[in-house]
Amino acid sequence: MSFLPDERGAELRALFFESAGELLQTINDAGLELEKRPADEELIRSVRRAIHTLKGDSAACGFSKLSEIAHELEDILSPQIGLLHGQRLAEVVLSAVDTFESMLSAYQKHAEPPAPVPLRTLIQQLLQSSQGTKHSSKSVVGSIAARFEWNEYERLMISEALLRGDKVFNIALRVDPNSSMRAAAFQLIRNVLHTCGTVIALRPEDNLAAASVEIVEASISSKHPIEHIAHRCKIPAVVSEVRIEAAEHAESSEHELLGDLLEAQAAQISSRAADTPVPAPANQGSSSSAVAAVSESSLRVDAARIDAVMNLVGELIIGKSMLHRTLTEFDVHHARDPVRAKLAEALAFQSRVLDELHKCVLKIRMVPVEQLFRRFPRVVRDIAKLCGKDVALEVSGEHTDLDKGILDALSEPLTHLVRNAVDHGIEPADERLGAGKLARGTISLNAHHQGTQVIIEIRDDGRGIDLNNIREHAIHNGLIKAEDATRLSDQDVMNLIFEPGFSTASEVTEVSGRGVGMDVVRTVLDRLKGTVHVTSNKSKGTTIQLRVPLTLASIQTLLFRVGGRLFAVPLSAVVEITRIQDQEIHRVDQREVLRLREQILTLVRLDQLNRIHPVEAPSGSKKKRNFVVVIGLAEKRFGLVVDSLVGEEELVIKALPGEIVSSDLVSGASILGDGTVVLILNVPAILSRLARSLPLGAIA
Amino acid sequence: MPQFAPLLRKDHQPVRYLVVDDSVFARKNIMKMIEVFGGEVAGEAGDGLTAIAEFNRIKPDIVLMDITMPQMEGIEAVERIVRQHADARIIMVSSVGYQENILAALQKGAKHFVQKPVKPEVLYEILRYVLGDDPNAAGAPVALAGEHQI
Repeated sequence: MSFLPDERGAELRALFFESAGELLQTINDAGLELEKRPADEELIRSVRRAIHTLKGDSAACGFSKLSEIAHELEDILSPQIGLLHGQRLAEVVLSAVDTFESMLSAYQKHAEPPAPVPLRTLIQQLLQSSQGTKHSSKSVVGSIAARFEWNEYERLMISEALLRGDKVFNIALRVDPNSSMRAAAFQLIRNVLHTCGTVIALRPEDNLAAASVEIVEASISSKHPIEHIAHRCKIPAVVSEVRIEAAEHAESSEHELLGDLLEAQAAQISSRAADTPVPAPANQGSSSSAVAAVSESSLRVDAARIDAVMNLVGELIIGKSMLHRTLTEFDVHHARDPVRAKLAEALAFQSRVLDELHKCVLKIRMVPVEQLFRRFPRVVRDIAKLCGKDVALEVSGEHTDLDKGILDALSEPLTHLVRNAVDHGIEPADERLGAGKLARGTISLNAHHQGTQVIIEIRDDGRGIDLNNIREHAIHNGLIKAEDATRLSDQDVMNLIFEPGFSTASEVTEVSGRGVGMDVVRTVLDRLKGTVHVTSNKSKGTTIQLRVPLTLASIQTLLFRVGGRLFAVPLSAVVEITRIQDQEIHRVDQREVLRLREQILTLVRLDQLNRIHPVEAPSGSKKKRNFVVVIGLAEKRFGLVVDSLVGEEELVIKALPGEIVSSDLVSGASILGDGTVVLILNVPAILSRLARSLPLGAIA
Repeated sequence: MPQFAPLLRKDHQPVRYLVVDDSVFARKNIMKMIEVFGGEVAGEAGDGLTAIAEFNRIKPDIVLMDITMPQMEGIEAVERIVRQHADARIIMVSSVGYQENILAALQKGAKHFVQKPVKPEVLYEILRYVLGDDPNAAGAPVALAGEHQI
């Protein structure tokens, strides 16, 4: 039905789906709150506002089924409905979110949306049981004969305010007949009305006319409940009688016009961004003004465009380092050339700007983890209900910024971990009480920065993970041999839960059996160059820590040489660098080890990684000195033997085509300014390679 | 004089008043009513300048301010106090002839006005109203006050 040009139509549709998602989130959050505070009028109003907007937006896009059902729901949401129905209202609101969601996704795929029959039934039920009290929902206080005849401009202001979702009240006040100072009384009434909200209309209009007037009429928009305004308007010694009524939703058919709706939406979006309501221009019926208003304070940009900019900045960084090398060469040949200083200066300036540019582009991709966290209250509630458990969710650090790409990738594993925590972690209430805990379990989600990484923690106060169970389970599934089981360190046993094939079909429940095992969690984290780490205290709870880099685009690395080739490892994985003599290397069990401050460290030589078989005794001069880079990943450590260290460098990672490097030991490559290719080592992959060729317990 | 339930602050302490009037008799009259309302007269002033100094010194919950005074008129005192303390609660006290002045004081930020001669039951209701205007309390009266029993 859209009569807009195709391109604009598609753009608006995209805008609609995005803002509809946000609206659903708002309704969802409010629905969860309603469960706790069903009589909170402000909450009900916020639900109503969001549904009203959804109704208008979807009608403008031609999604009539969605708009109809939203309209039906909006109709029953009077502020008092919570008092009548309590928890049932929250149930309806939450199921509405689910219904809207499935309808939206159908529209998005250009499919026919499912008929919202169950929701409609719920709405009907609520409607029937509140029929008897429907009259009380019409808010009128007092009985002064008042006309509330506003002029055209004032009527427009009122409908704008209603459309914004504000409450508008028509107020009539009888001036106390005993008052002998009418002008002062009128001034005081004016003052009070201004403290109650925004005065849209006022009769009489000035103090002079007020001297002889008995009744003051006004229209105000306000956030306050009607009772509060009634209370404030009963001004002792000045006002003797009060009448207040909520202004009607004068929803004439012209409000359904596309232009109006778009304008209302635009005003809403820009006021949301700027926090000040923008009066929408009077009917122009043009959608261009709406789009212009949207772009005023925030832009919605296709992520691919930002990635393209990011790539170009990456190329520029490589170009900068080329220039630096050229300058160094120039130095050698023409050390005294006056041009040199000028070049160096220009280069320094360019570097500074480039650094800023790089940071700015990175910032564009950063979004607060709240975007991910905010779905979990609902997830926890639903699963807890399904399992018959009482679980509270505590969220902190939701303002921590993280690369949008990483955040999106974390969504599935994090959801899995949260589900797991509720389903398996938190015990049933009676078991908890027996263990001396509160019946209500707690799951906390936390995010914070640590250096160039972001740490996301999921902690539950449940039963904890029993290491012996894992051992048995792993032996049973053939992951480890019974005789190896005792040799594994506790941490290694814990890590077995991330092995593919650890979780079995017998554990599949409605909640956790979604085909996503813990191995998927680790796979995703590996891909993101992050780590996952589990600590658990039997009967006290489990903490799962996810560490991911702030951004995928570039990393700080340590460059080193082995056998003439240049390699890099993420600086965040480097624990320390030490220098050793060959004779300090010992051989134990077919591998080289080093005793470093009372700890045995397995040594890895990159040139031998692909064939970790009998290591030849170190040959050549016994005096040969090596650098050992100690690499740490979670609790695991190993030492990388390198020939020489080159230095630290910020590398822009380039994805490698599969045919160039066929090893999973390399996670990417980068190009230095002089064109040299650097291979970036995949630390988790090296560790798992070690684990497979050597007994696990050996990696101390 | 009739009996009134005490008007108290949110923290159950007596409400603290500053009484400003150039007539000692008028001051005493008001102070007597305040006592009956369970309040505490924290300070007195006979002119606008002293009133400002006293306000800054004792930070009262309520100021009862006469309109016409020597040295500085009530309106100017209101303006100066409200400029520094936007949340000051000032009630103007004046006789009928000064309506223009009261109007001006209300425009400058006074919260209410009461006519001379002051009737205790009127003043009581006005005080109750003005004390209940805490914007954060959203309608809940700040002062704990029962209906007055006469």
